[in-house]
Amino acid sequence: MLKVEKLNKSFRTPAGDVHAVKDVSFSTNSGQVVAIIGASGSGKSTLLSLVGLLDTPDSGSIDVNGAALASLSAAGRTAYRAKQVGFVFQSFNLVPNLTALENVMLALEFAQWPSAERETRAREMLSMVGLDEGKADRRPAKLSGGEQQRVAIARAFAAKPELILADEPTGALDRATGQKIVALLRDAAQSQGATVLVVTHDEKVAAQADRRLEIEDGVLTEIA
Amino acid sequence: MNALRRGVKNAFRNAMRSVGVVLILGVAIALSISMLVARDAVTNKINAVRSTTGTTVTVSPAGFFGFSGGGTPLSETAVNKLLSLPNVTSVQESLSQDLTSNQTSLKTPTPTGFLGRHFGQGASFGLGGSRQSGGFTIPVRVIGTNTPGTAVTGGANGGGTEKLVAGSAFSSTSTADVAVIGQTMATKNNLVVGSTFTAWQHTVTVVGIYSSGSTFADSEVLMPLATVQKLASAANQLTGATITVNNIGNVTSVSTAVAKALGSNASVTNTVQSVQSELSPLNSVKTISTYTLVGAILGAAIILLLSMLMIVRERRREIGVLKAIGATNRSIVSQFAAESTTFTLLGSVVGLIFGVIIANPITSALVNATSSSSTTGFVRPGFGGGGFGGGGNGFPPGGNHPFGGGFGFHAHAFGSALSDLHASAGWSSLVLAFLAALLIAIVGSAVAASTITRISPAEVLRSE
Repeated sequence: MLKVEKLNKSFRTPAGDVHAVKDVSFSTNSGQVVAIIGASGSGKSTLLSLVGLLDTPDSGSIDVNGAALASLSAAGRTAYRAKQVGFVFQSFNLVPNLTALENVMLALEFAQWPSAERETRAREMLSMVGLDEGKADRRPAKLSGGEQQRVAIARAFAAKPELILADEPTGALDRATGQKIVALLRDAAQSQGATVLVVTHDEKVAAQADRRLEIEDGVLTEIA
Repeated sequence: MNALRRGVKNAFRNAMRSVGVVLILGVAIALSISMLVARDAVTNKINAVRSTTGTTVTVSPAGFFGFSGGGTPLSETAVNKLLSLPNVTSVQESLSQDLTSNQTSLKTPTPTGFLGRHFGQGASFGLGGSRQSGGFTIPVRVIGTNTPGTAVTGGANGGGTEKLVAGSAFSSTSTADVAVIGQTMATKNNLVVGSTFTAWQHTVTVVGIYSSGSTFADSEVLMPLATVQKLASAANQLTGATITVNNIGNVTSVSTAVAKALGSNASVTNTVQSVQSELSPLNSVKTISTYTLVGAILGAAIILLLSMLMIVRERRREIGVLKAIGATNRSIVSQFAAESTTFTLLGSVVGLIFGVIIANPITSALVNATSSSSTTGFVRPGFGGGGFGGGGNGFPPGGNHPFGGGFGFHAHAFGSALSDLHASAGWSSLVLAFLAALLIAIVGSAVAASTITRISPAEVLRSE
């Protein structure tokens, strides 16, 4: 269970201070897919950075299953990200000179999974996202956009994290593929028991989520 | 696949760039290796020459110029006192005299030659030769010595190869009218042990005959120092002394003490000084190779550093992603260090092959370039082999003639120091090259590592 309370984050810019996230509070349950909708510059990516421990909040708290994360050290945040957080990016962000299988195994290596189990787990995850065996040994450049995003989802879920953060996961895909990807995220969240936070500006993607939150000028509100 | 394997794999990610970086590194490392090898070869040669350098200080009258004379004779009393100086083990004294045909019955075996006739035309030359009706003749050189044992084994004559072939040497304190003569002189004058000749109107008995293998060294006459001083009316006079020092480290200090003791009338030279001046081209090569070595290593390190910085900059987003999904700074730095080390190792292999191939030509080129500029003021034509009034065949070598035998020997040593130089890559050079390559890889990775640690994973989301 993810619980965020009174989260604040400001940035200093040449144009003045920008309060990107203002007193944001929300909570989610395991296996739930939560969509955060917002226009460009609304603060949704900043919120994702804070929840994913990529950045530190100015104030507020983030708890996952009772563990307070906001006060973790840099090393602690890295270790937590490796084991308990999975990321899915808009532009996939796979390592280009590694195969699909190696990209998934990378997350398992960082999460310090036993070496002997990594390949089996990676193949299992690629199979789960519907990537056939023949494509496991292909490099990202030899895969379609949808296939690359499937590899990214397999990578995100590989180490059995508690939290999956997806930043515009369908932004670089056509509508049909995008819908399949969101469905895949939803299925994976349920089968793996992870909370999925999807940031999107696409209403149709958001409509597939269990809950929808809207962020505007850093302020988060629940959409009924 | 761990970070190290990923790093090695990444080194081949962009084939064109990898080949370029490896080739440039290879050239820099080849230059480093060739400089290292050149430096080693020169250092070994310098050490070899130094180890064979004698521990002697040579004294001659200031302004003394071989056959030409010149200078005021040294005082035997003053030279004898040098034995009490610290670190001096022995003092060999000699008095050289050139006898004209009016002063001796001996005939010189050295032909006058065209140059001898030419230089002998002017009496003002003062060569000591005699002008007969037919022209100029070479004088007979008599060397009075207090170390006849050493003289016939290379002391007074300086050649180092003289050996008694008949009879015996006289004693060091002898005052008898006896002589040990060179084989060429003996043959020319039909002399054997027991024969006599005249010098300064005195009858001198041949007690021994030596041979050195050199026609000119074998044209001289060795006699007891006291006898020559007496017959030549040169009591207490010397034209040369050779002081032996206990070890090479004390040669310079003894040389200074001798110069101080004898004052301005004496010219004092030592083997260390001579060798140092002879070795100066090699020292120059050593200095050049050291600077070039450092420059090449720095160049290679800068090339790798810039390449790695460019790669890190290019993969900034990828580094952010790796950090976002849980990679530690250490893991990413290890990956880039492995990539940098792969470039360096490949560059080292290329560099080693080219370095070993070009080491010898570069060493030779450096030595030749340096020595050709240094020899100009060193070798004086007409002294070593031209024959100064001596039949065109050369001045006889002699320890008492700093501008004759000394030059001949030094010129030879100098020449051989350079010509015998051979560059080869020893294990020590290869280990040093490996350490240099490691240093290059570390420097190349370090700055990249510092950039890597500053990359924030949040940049990935911001740039999406």
